[in-house]
Amino acid sequence: MTQSQTSQGHTPRRRGARLRRKQMVGLLFVAPAVLLVLVFFVVPLGMAFWMSLHNWPLLGRPRFIGFANYANLMQDERFWAAMRFTVYYTVIVTIAIFAVAFPLALFVEKARPLTRFYRTAFFLPVVIGFGSASLLWAWLMNVDVGLFSPLAFRLGLTEKPVNLLAGFDTTFWSIVVMVVWKTAGFNMIILLTGLQGISSEVQEAARMDGASYGQRFRRITLPLMRRTIALALILSVAGSILAFDQFYIIADGGPQNSTVTAVYWIFSQSFVSFRLGYGSAMSMVLLVLLVTISVVQLRLLRTPEGM
Amino acid sequence: MMRMLKTAALAALAIHLASGLAFAQEKLTMWSRSSSEAFMPPLIKAFNAAHKTQIELQIVPTAEMVQKYAIAAAGGSAPDLLSLDLVYTPAFAASGQLEDLTELAKSLPFFAHLSKAHVGAGSYDGRIYGLPMSADASVMLWNKKLFRQAGLDPDKGPTNWAEIEQYAGKVNAIGGDIRGFYFSGACGGCNAFTFMPLVWASGGDILVDGGKRATLNTPQMRDAIALYRGLVEKGYVPESARTDPGANFFGGFATDKVGMSPIGAFAIGNLVKNYPNVEFGVTFLPGKTGGKASFAGGDNFVVTAGRKKMEAVREFLTFAYSLEGQTLLAKLGSLPTRGDIAAEAVKSLDQRYLVATEAMAIGRTPSSPVYNDIINSSTGPWKQMLNEVFFGKDVEGSLVKAEKTMQSIIDQSGK
Repeated sequence: MTQSQTSQGHTPRRRGARLRRKQMVGLLFVAPAVLLVLVFFVVPLGMAFWMSLHNWPLLGRPRFIGFANYANLMQDERFWAAMRFTVYYTVIVTIAIFAVAFPLALFVEKARPLTRFYRTAFFLPVVIGFGSASLLWAWLMNVDVGLFSPLAFRLGLTEKPVNLLAGFDTTFWSIVVMVVWKTAGFNMIILLTGLQGISSEVQEAARMDGASYGQRFRRITLPLMRRTIALALILSVAGSILAFDQFYIIADGGPQNSTVTAVYWIFSQSFVSFRLGYGSAMSMVLLVLLVTISVVQLRLLRTPEGM
Repeated sequence: MMRMLKTAALAALAIHLASGLAFAQEKLTMWSRSSSEAFMPPLIKAFNAAHKTQIELQIVPTAEMVQKYAIAAAGGSAPDLLSLDLVYTPAFAASGQLEDLTELAKSLPFFAHLSKAHVGAGSYDGRIYGLPMSADASVMLWNKKLFRQAGLDPDKGPTNWAEIEQYAGKVNAIGGDIRGFYFSGACGGCNAFTFMPLVWASGGDILVDGGKRATLNTPQMRDAIALYRGLVEKGYVPESARTDPGANFFGGFATDKVGMSPIGAFAIGNLVKNYPNVEFGVTFLPGKTGGKASFAGGDNFVVTAGRKKMEAVREFLTFAYSLEGQTLLAKLGSLPTRGDIAAEAVKSLDQRYLVATEAMAIGRTPSSPVYNDIINSSTGPWKQMLNEVFFGKDVEGSLVKAEKTMQSIIDQSGK
């Protein structure tokens, strides 16, 4: 060990110690976040998995039954029907949200008179909770005292007030419209940040090269917004797969249990039928599905193939 | 002097502590659901005023009662006493949550007169875990003003199904937005309360063999369905009934635009108090060709397992079943649950309550640990079947499917 090395503090051992100290400090800095994740995510997840291995009634003692809950849910037609319906709803509602949110984002991107007003107006339904929004729409959709049916009837569009909740299609599409109204503003804002992140120079250069609006949208805007679209898609898909409030409050799962989502069925089995273990097992399956879909989406949207 | 003061202070403290302890021993906690808010707090207040034993009552939202109790029980903080929707009593008893009240119950001199339906639902494996706390029985209401307008005798309600259909048709013929009949078409619990008795009064049943077998696909059930289908097809039932999850169970009749509605006795007091303009009569839910039946609903009084406070419990029950307690309950919206003094308890009330107390006396409650699952649940087989058979196309298929689903839930619960 030479004098100079010592004075500079560069001996391997010291460097190691300093590194470790640095790491320790770093660890301390993230400790609160790690703790939060552990307490509010990892531990509950572990507990849910543990519960899923039991016959765990809401009242009374749990009994370990291994993977019997998982074997049962394979046979549970109602669960798979709920899963199929959830996936169907997710596909439809996600497309619908994008079909509305993207044009809205393009519309409010440019600075023109009243842009701020439009942005606020489109975003407004987002700040209402899903529960309150559902209650509001349950009333709007009521056949006697609501808005839509009596209005359509008074305007002479229908022969008599139509009960929107009486058939599957009218119930389903009414709820899709409600969800688009409720969430398009949020997706609009996400897409807007993506749009604003595209340098105006790139657009201008393309325009000078004679690219049309359509060409610029397809060749520049869309590819450069890949990550933003991925984010918006994943949030929208995850939210839709976990849909519950609107189907519970507006339709009560009806008509005739045709709009029971996966989370609704899990809720019903856990807290109406008191089968917490079974509910946990179904939650695990839903989690696996959600993670798989998210990973696939990330893969598809992140690799710049074809660019 | 100082020492004396100290001693006195210590003695005072000791006495205070001791009396506090003695007092604490006589303090019980009790939960009751929000639908009992009109009568439980006054009953407890009257009890506390007259007794050394004190009960601290907490009102819990009806929909959260079971979950909240389960969490409290798991954490050891469940209340001593509970006024529990009686259909849950078997499930609670089966899971070992409740104290056995058999000895206490049988020692009550008026035990034989307590509501059979409540005690039946409160019994599990030959032991009694629940005793009647509050009650409601299903009855048929008819609108006298509309009956008069339709040219019917306003003082005579329907006594069989043919009359229901005939009267509904006549009231419907008044026209406008007046309809003959109302029921909540997308509500399992409401229709257990009001539709099941039509089947019972005609000799059918829904659960047999001590709740072990579901019997939906019966001639009586098919007849009762045909009655409701007919009322719907002929347009005697408002369109909104089809998707009413029970939110309008009472409101439907209270609009003063409906000829008849099967409903609970709770509606009598509510109408008298809040809708004085609605002129109505009360009669029994009839069978196909006559007869009568009723669903006895309400709450059972239960004690959390392990709470050794039987003397205080006896004191409270004695008060609740006294003429004073029963009258107080009846006045505030619960039917009397002690048959021998029921008529006396409702004497000062609207005379239409007499029909309700009689309905209570013949009331039945299907008992099953999975009652909530098969009947009340919004995703359950009973609710789905009713909506399909009343408004859908395939009655036979729906009946077969629902019976199968119910049976598999019952079979699975034993495992």
